[in-house]
Amino acid sequence: MIAVTERPADASRPGSRAGTGKRRHRTSAAAPWMLLGPFLALFVLTFILPIIVAIGSSFIRVTRQGVFGEEGVTTEFAWFANYAQALENGNFIASIGRMLLFGVVQVSVMIALCTVLALLLESASVKWPGFFRAVYFLPYGIPGVIATILWSFLYVPGLSPIIDIAGAMGIELDFLGSGTVLWSIANIVTWTYTGYNMMIIVAQLKAIPNEVYEAAKVDGAGPFRVARSIQLPLIRPALILTTVFSIIGTLQLFAEPQVLQTVSPAIDNEYTPNLSAYTTAFAYNDYNVAAAQAVLIALVAFALSFVFLRLTSRRAS
Amino acid sequence: MAPMTRRQLLAWAAAGGATALLAGCSTPGTVSPNLGPTIAPAGSGEKITLTYWAWLKDLQKVADVWNADHPDIQVEAVWIPGGNDGGYQKLYSALAAGGGPDLAQVEMRTLPEFLLVNGLIDLRRYGVDEYASRYNTTLWNQVSYVDGVYGIPQDSGPMALYYRPDLLQQVGATAPTTWDEWFEVARAVRDAGMYLECFALDDASWFAAMATQAGASWFRIDGDRWIIDMADEATLETARFFDRAIDEGLMTTSYSQFSPAWFAAAANDKIASLAGASWGDALLQGVSGAEGKWRVAPLPRWGDTGYGSTFQGGSTAAVLANSKHPREALEFAVWMTTSEAGINAMIENSGIGWSPDDAYIGAPRQQPSAFFGGQNYNEEVFVPAAKDQNNEWQWWPLTQQSFNILADGFRAKASGGSLVDAVVQGQRDVIQAFRNKGLRIEAAS
Repeated sequence: MIAVTERPADASRPGSRAGTGKRRHRTSAAAPWMLLGPFLALFVLTFILPIIVAIGSSFIRVTRQGVFGEEGVTTEFAWFANYAQALENGNFIASIGRMLLFGVVQVSVMIALCTVLALLLESASVKWPGFFRAVYFLPYGIPGVIATILWSFLYVPGLSPIIDIAGAMGIELDFLGSGTVLWSIANIVTWTYTGYNMMIIVAQLKAIPNEVYEAAKVDGAGPFRVARSIQLPLIRPALILTTVFSIIGTLQLFAEPQVLQTVSPAIDNEYTPNLSAYTTAFAYNDYNVAAAQAVLIALVAFALSFVFLRLTSRRAS
Repeated sequence: MAPMTRRQLLAWAAAGGATALLAGCSTPGTVSPNLGPTIAPAGSGEKITLTYWAWLKDLQKVADVWNADHPDIQVEAVWIPGGNDGGYQKLYSALAAGGGPDLAQVEMRTLPEFLLVNGLIDLRRYGVDEYASRYNTTLWNQVSYVDGVYGIPQDSGPMALYYRPDLLQQVGATAPTTWDEWFEVARAVRDAGMYLECFALDDASWFAAMATQAGASWFRIDGDRWIIDMADEATLETARFFDRAIDEGLMTTSYSQFSPAWFAAAANDKIASLAGASWGDALLQGVSGAEGKWRVAPLPRWGDTGYGSTFQGGSTAAVLANSKHPREALEFAVWMTTSEAGINAMIENSGIGWSPDDAYIGAPRQQPSAFFGGQNYNEEVFVPAAKDQNNEWQWWPLTQQSFNILADGFRAKASGGSLVDAVVQGQRDVIQAFRNKGLRIEAAS
């Protein structure tokens, strides 16, 4: 039934070994598939299929008649009703807006910070670059949940030495109030990921050939001039990459607010888009609306990354 | 048939797999387990094993007490995370996959949510009526819906006022007996730099308990529809009262009961009392240096109206839809919650909440407590409290969502909103949430 299309081995080609050509070709055609097989199977099963199922279920609606659905349960194709319901949910929209604000502030601060750190570590006068690289990178090795628990000890009044010291000086700090907790989360995220992004930029800096620096030196450029005219333009691709990753990461914020929720009454169950989808699915048992929310989050992340890439590539050309 | 290329083959396989998956998981929980014939008990000599998923600690030790006497009905306890922290999610997915344990710990307030996904066995079909009289009436009403009984009450949380006599004495006060008195004491305590209580903006269940005490009954079933009355006079009165207390700065909203910040404040003698459930006694022992300092008094009353106490928390042992042995599961649950051996084992190993059996509170709770300065508080305060609760209260299928809606309204308090607004607007949002699910609901007024 199933024939695999195969080009016959060209025995007349000069230099080919006619005797073994056919067998060799067949194995070499099958080999990549066999090597790819385990990956493809897992990729389809755990990535492609869940996406298809999620998109499919976002168009389905289950309604129950009576007080507990004892009069019947209907499952129907609902077109965009779940999307409409997700978009009517003020908390969900607010969570996306909150993440946009968060992204604008946190991503800029983090990218600026990691660029400065990378430039300092790669400058000529640096001492112990390896040690500092490891130190800055270390927070990335700590899982987000643990990092949040660690930071919460510095945020909770009565436990936090920072609040105690500030209180002794007459300053009242509240890290967990409704106006401040978003930036307390931003602080944790920045602390965790700055070192990681710094590493990407350092790698790009190391790729700059030495001749460029030497030429700059001959022309009499100081360290600031080198950073502005040589290093920054040449690490542009790395900066774009880390920014796109950070934008996507921002929309997927989940563990930090969820853990911080236990100490901050200001964080509701729909504080971030992902937290909202999680609550809808697993606390309200509404998998279909949650699927619609998930698709919307993906679309927003896609749109933002696309807009950012367009903006940066236009400026480049 | 034309030869197929590899690409086509892959495409067909993917499409086939997707279709099968969609068909398989499109509508879990849409078939009622209570329509077919009942499952007969296992024959004598047949050995069965029941599984019980719960977040009680050391539950297996309780099951072992039963297992020793019942070689044919062995119970295996499996630990799951507590309620909405992951336990329910596990149970829901197990049910959706057509599996799950025989018994599961489900909070009173969550039973209707499991009913909505057809996750529970109606125990009246397996003869639960003969045991009904053993249970506290308030609790039994919270496991009975329409014509069925859907869980065995396992523990509950009658409420009382935990207080610090030494701190109250500093301002010349004693434990308040009415909420009006409570307000005066709260003022005095606040003037002395302490708080009498905190108000959780992120969890509406404490507020709901207070409204229940005042006589509120938010939901009832009328034939084939729900009647919602979240903004009744009792609730509004409660909301106005706590609005006033928060506006005057008498209650702090920056932390909630038993949160890390609360423990820190309590250890620093900044918290003078706590209106809490019976299970709060164990948590209070986590306050450093609290030994002997706390006492227990009845909850303040809402003047001449309402009830002497109310409840917070409380869970059931529910028989899940896919159980192969509902009758045996029921027998174990009844043994665990009403026999002296069961109740004592549950208290000693699992630190369970208040016993659902009015006739027996458990041996460890019949003695004076050293932590509470020798006060025999369980018999003195909680036994009468458990009998003076609002019997009208029933839970509903969107409890968690409704509490979140209320909490969202409460949070607006920080930016000029009020609890009264939150309750009035909350009722509208809850009605909408019910209708989104297709459920029939009307406002009472």
